[in-house]
Amino acid sequence: MVDDSAQLYTIEGFAAAFIILATAYLISGTMSIYTPGDSHITDMQLEQIGNDVLAVMDTPTTQGGESELVGYLKDWNTDGFNERFSNLLNNRTSGKDTLKYDASVSYRSDTDTVQNAPFFSSQTRTNYEQAVRVTRLVTIPESTDLSSHLPEFEKRDQVVLLEVLIWRS
Amino acid sequence: MEKLNDEAQWIVLMGFMVAAAFFFLALVINQSTLVGQTTAESVLEFPKEDIRDVKSEVAAVVATASISDAEKEKLWKDIEALYIARKNAVVDIEKTGGSATHTEVKIHFNNGVTTYDETAYY
Repeated sequence: MVDDSAQLYTIEGFAAAFIILATAYLISGTMSIYTPGDSHITDMQLEQIGNDVLAVMDTPTTQGGESELVGYLKDWNTDGFNERFSNLLNNRTSGKDTLKYDASVSYRSDTDTVQNAPFFSSQTRTNYEQAVRVTRLVTIPESTDLSSHLPEFEKRDQVVLLEVLIWRS
Repeated sequence: MEKLNDEAQWIVLMGFMVAAAFFFLALVINQSTLVGQTTAESVLEFPKEDIRDVKSEVAAVVATASISDAEKEKLWKDIEALYIARKNAVVDIEKTGGSATHTEVKIHFNNGVTTYDETAYY
């Protein structure tokens, strides 16, 4: 009879090798390295909250009424805007978040070019922030005169684009 | 196999099976980061809020009776100019018809990745 005891030892060796390999793979695979490319996940959350805040502020409370965002823009009420926007942006179940933002207004001027002017910034930018941009179209009425804040401003019913850069500081 | 005690081999083989099961669970956990990453990228790329914003603004302007049709054309031009200059998206808004009860507006949106066309009745 052929002695096949060695075969069992060989199989055992294979099995042991597999276990070691599988364990090594398991350990190396469950480690995740957070690279700058992964910041998309947090960017998405920032963009979502920014859009939500703007949507809340641009929703009129009465039928056919004017939203508070229109009010802040046509009166150039930066303090009122800052208070409301910061509050909504940094609202948390407990405590306050540390999100900062920089708002600017883009508009079509009387020379038919699109211009951009700063509206309010809660922190001076260094331009190294990992910021996301959210925007909202706002219709401001003809009675509005913002020519002292917006160069070449045309006084008429018009749609302006409120742009907000949001970042975590 | 007469004199060979192979009890331990069975323990090793069972151990291997358990390890294989863990191995597949680890694969699943491994994929979760990648899935979250690609989902976030797709969400960022898709201009959901942009299209909604254009639509809601058009709806609001159409509903405002105090703005004449000629002025509304200017507002569409505003939106188109702002989107091409600031958001790199082609937007075309055109009133294509309507009656006393409704207005028919065609909205076109294209940012190079996503194209959206709609005939809206407000």
